[in-house]
Amino acid sequence: MLELRDLSVHYGAVRALEGVSFQAAPGGITAILGANGAGKSSLMRAVSGIAPVVAGQVLLDGQDITALPPPARARLGVAHAMEGRRLFRQLTVEDNLRLAWSFGARREKLAASLAEVYARFPILETKARTAAGLLSGGQQQMLILSCTTIRNPRFLLLDEPSLGLAPIIVQQIYGFITDYAAKSGIVVIIAEQMAALALKVSRQGMVLRRGRVVLAGAGEELLRGRDGTTLAASYL
Amino acid sequence: MDDFFFSLLLAGISVGAVYALIALGLNLTFWTTKTLNFGQGSLMMLCAMLTVFISSQGLAITLAVVGSLAVVAALGVFIERWTVRPALESSGGSMGWVVSTLGFGIFLQGMAAKYFGSQAVAFPDVVFTAQDFVTVFGQYISLQYLVVLAVAVALILAFELFIRRTVWGQAVHAVSLDPELALVQGIPVRRLILGSFMLSSILAGVAGVLIAQIGGTVDPAFGFDLVLLGFVAAVLGGMGSSLGALAGGLLVGVISKLVGGYVSTAAEHGIAFALLMLALAVRPQGLFGRPEVSKA
Repeated sequence: MLELRDLSVHYGAVRALEGVSFQAAPGGITAILGANGAGKSSLMRAVSGIAPVVAGQVLLDGQDITALPPPARARLGVAHAMEGRRLFRQLTVEDNLRLAWSFGARREKLAASLAEVYARFPILETKARTAAGLLSGGQQQMLILSCTTIRNPRFLLLDEPSLGLAPIIVQQIYGFITDYAAKSGIVVIIAEQMAALALKVSRQGMVLRRGRVVLAGAGEELLRGRDGTTLAASYL
Repeated sequence: MDDFFFSLLLAGISVGAVYALIALGLNLTFWTTKTLNFGQGSLMMLCAMLTVFISSQGLAITLAVVGSLAVVAALGVFIERWTVRPALESSGGSMGWVVSTLGFGIFLQGMAAKYFGSQAVAFPDVVFTAQDFVTVFGQYISLQYLVVLAVAVALILAFELFIRRTVWGQAVHAVSLDPELALVQGIPVRRLILGSFMLSSILAGVAGVLIAQIGGTVDPAFGFDLVLLGFVAAVLGGMGSSLGALAGGLLVGVISKLVGGYVSTAAEHGIAFALLMLALAVRPQGLFGRPEVSKA
């Protein structure tokens, strides 16, 4: 269980999040929706420990981790795919995977974990010795997902996994995320601008607007609209 | 080959290998924090002075060296915590660390002058004496020079292996590429940074002892221009490259000794900075530096 209690994140005078509370239970995907600058990334960064939290708490399975540094949170099982397709671009595909595995939960041997990744995304095996920065956008996203899942996380945070990718690749990426969420039974949170896409696979969702929660509910419900408040309206 | 040229070459290679060690130490903190500890020169001096002091108290010379290295390593941690980190945490990625590390170095130099006196003191022989030599192809080669060269090269190779082959080496590399991503991936960045300053200071200490061994004496001002030569070596070889540090160090060492021998000893250090300017104009990424490659 991942829980935020009254969380506020400020970057100097900029208030990125104001008193956000929510819970995400394991075994399903939670979608965080909102326009650019709504606070989606700040929320994720607050969970992984790289955003300046000024008030409120972050709890993992009831344990308050608000004061823990990022590596300690990573050891507790938080894996965060940051926005902007962050990878060690000068390192090879395999080195990226090996590093992620080395500092992860290491439930299997490296060779077994790598084999699993390569079976899922054969192109990564073909490009194993290529610098990650030279992969195409879709391949980079596959590598990022593999780097987060190779660590056997308990809390998976994915920031805009569809950004800038061709529709066919987006489908493949979302197929992987849905399968992984169902198979692993962990907490998965996806931040997306493309609301319909994320809600289709999510059990629950919430919409942020200027750092506050304006709408929350079951995925289906949000998709259809509720109480006369449509999803589209909350973006405006 | 005439003897004079050969002896200059050998001296150049030996001191060059020590410059390479200094350059390696500079590289190390550059990888983890993009900062350089300009107080390294004073750490070299302090390590050599402490060695002299401890061994003069009757302790075995090897113990004196190890003890001095331990002190210098602790100072490395202190430097990171109190001169570098505050400067980096102050607003907007300032360059304050240049002044704070240099300032701490000057402080150490002053303290050494106060407590050990500012005269040069004789440095004891660690392994061989200045009179020990071997003969190769009719040339006399000082064993001290050979030991200095061997220690420096061995350390550089060990280092390169550590960075390339171990997961911690990879982690250091990762921190240099994207510290935030490294943190999120669970790499203990803070510990790596502290470790890098500690190791960098130890390398400086070893370099100090080796140079003092060649020169025969140490004084509080010792080390100040050496760290600048190490810096030239690092830039020449390509900031952040271990093999570059070795090549740059040897190049600076040999060229400055040759110029010192054939032109004037006064030009010895000047030529190193001329090399630096030339390198920055012609090949700013250094001999072994890689220009950044990436696809958006």
